Amino acid sequence: MSIRRTSGLVGAVSLALILAGCGSSSDGGSDAASEKDKTRVFAADNGKITIPADPKRVVATGYAVPALIEADAPLVGISSWKRGEPMMSKEDLAEYKKLTKVAGEQAAETNYEAIAEAEPDLIVIGVPAPVLGDIDVKRLESIAPVVAIGPSLPSAWRDLSRKQADAAGALDKFDEGQKAYEAKAAELATKYKDVLPQLKLGHVGAYGEVAKGTFQREFGGSWGTNIAEDLGAKYYGKVKKAGTGSSAVSEYPSIEELPDAFGEADVLTYSVNADGSVSEAVQYVLDSKLWKNLPAVKAGKTFPLRYTEAATYGQAMNTLDAIDMSLAPLLKS
Amino acid sequence: MTVAGRASGRAGSRRAAVPQTGLLVGGLVLLAVVAVLSMGIGAHPVPPGEVVRALLDYQGTDDHVIVRDVRGPRSLLAVAVGAALAVSGALIQTLARNPLAEPGILGVTAGAGFTITVGSALGWAAGQAGQLGFAVLGSVLAALLVAAVGRRSPLRLVLTGVALTAVLSGVALGLRLMLPDVFDTYRFWSVGSLAAREQAPLALPLAAIVVCLIGALLLSKALNALALGETVAHTLGAGVGRVRAAALVLITVLCAAATAVAGPILFVGLIVPHLVRKPAAGSVPWLIVYTMVLGPVLLLIADIGSRVLLPTGEVPVGIVTAFLGGPMLIWAVRRYGAGSL
Repeated sequence: MSIRRTSGLVGAVSLALILAGCGSSSDGGSDAASEKDKTRVFAADNGKITIPADPKRVVATGYAVPALIEADAPLVGISSWKRGEPMMSKEDLAEYKKLTKVAGEQAAETNYEAIAEAEPDLIVIGVPAPVLGDIDVKRLESIAPVVAIGPSLPSAWRDLSRKQADAAGALDKFDEGQKAYEAKAAELATKYKDVLPQLKLGHVGAYGEVAKGTFQREFGGSWGTNIAEDLGAKYYGKVKKAGTGSSAVSEYPSIEELPDAFGEADVLTYSVNADGSVSEAVQYVLDSKLWKNLPAVKAGKTFPLRYTEAATYGQAMNTLDAIDMSLAPLLKS
Repeated sequence: MTVAGRASGRAGSRRAAVPQTGLLVGGLVLLAVVAVLSMGIGAHPVPPGEVVRALLDYQGTDDHVIVRDVRGPRSLLAVAVGAALAVSGALIQTLARNPLAEPGILGVTAGAGFTITVGSALGWAAGQAGQLGFAVLGSVLAALLVAAVGRRSPLRLVLTGVALTAVLSGVALGLRLMLPDVFDTYRFWSVGSLAAREQAPLALPLAAIVVCLIGALLLSKALNALALGETVAHTLGAGVGRVRAAALVLITVLCAAATAVAGPILFVGLIVPHLVRKPAAGSVPWLIVYTMVLGPVLLLIADIGSRVLLPTGEVPVGIVTAFLGGPMLIWAVRRYGAGSL
């Protein structure tokens, strides 16, 4: 970046960082310097970015936080990610709590000075593309190379978390997690193969708005359904007007449309919190007389699903266990 | 007045009462038609015949459940809230002798918004029941404070309400700006809506509204005298202090209950009294009766509009009444004038 193009405080901070970077590289030997200088071009949401081939100090935000903690990436700073805490293993949660927080829950709460202090050689931003506008990427680029790898379709977490781990040079541990998940999913798919694929399923998501009188219907490929689909579940229907991201696979009809939405379903699943409690939005649906009038509900074929927001293979292992536990009665009928 | 004059006056009032009664019957028929339409129109349309069958011969089908358990309570709420806001508007305009007075002037809306904000910040106003409780608390406390300070004169009442509204709104806004989660909770309530109230505990606020509407009818004759001025009211034997206190209690409870269950719905309390002032012909009892019918009609129509205006989903009814209210008020003022109070 040309110093002439920067101005004011940003320019001064950038210059100081550049000088600091030059100073530290000159401290090591020539081998270490050449190792550090090895780079590669990485395709991210924000273009083709030149990043270190083997990053040593990584800052992660958003969805990249749980993915890179699980992959044992060399993290030096992360954003807060409270929504993922209930799904983390004990070890990952301890690591998450130990790491320096350089941003809040919202992208707009990014602490640029804290990120600069962490002296990263790579910054991985895991927020959706529309939210990227809340972040001053140019300012971050003055600190270290920035790769934006944010969620698109909910079911794309598999590819996105791999890409995040790849950028951070942490694919070895990532691949272990992926193999474990795929083995367990295949085992459960075999277990349920005589039951699940023959049923029409519907799912109530956790993000309806009680104040508006709406519920969230999730179709195949959504947060609440994509892992169950790995077991052979078939969620029928599709959104009336597909949008981008999660609105391509979920919609928010009026509570009056419950019979139209789920009248054909043999089985209904619904998202619950990690501790099994039911959110206000889902409880609103469960308390509705229209819900109680549905054939699947009258037949007792309703099942709560925990960990439906899993966005890493480690978290998705919890989801597989939860689905297996919840759907087990189907095997008896 | 001579005997002949009194006889002529009675004949005149009888002549006036006939079209006024006719208008009332017409208004009630309109209310029934709009209520049936309101229970039929929505995301899942139900034909009017099926609506009537659901009410008179319930079979438990999905259509019947929608009418009886989702839209029925919503329409009932619209009738109650519409009547409460309109009648409290008529009462406050009569009491304050100010055509621009509306129920929110007593600080009720600001009080409810303030307590919901504080309750959310403390984590105590989660869910519909929690919000309802805090809204009732805030509305009643604010109105009591305004009434206590400003009960001696209409001007003092209005000024106290405006001042309290400014203070409470400012503090609540500051809290919401500092706490994004609190802002999120507040924003749904703040637009005013009748959607998704079918599972909320509404029996107590609705009962309070019904009792106060009856109270307003009983008080209307005394208010008729008060509308002529305090001196005339004294001469006619009306207990000015008692009438004013009773009216303030009614306004407070009506507005607090309506705001608590539906959020702030603007303009209904302001415009409905203006729309019926001419047919009421200076009679406060007729003004109260007409507002009691037209308020629900207006809110039901606005609520139907809230369901059909956008193909993507509902618009909160508070926004529809705000859009309708401004032009309607201008039209009413141009057509009839503000009317003498």
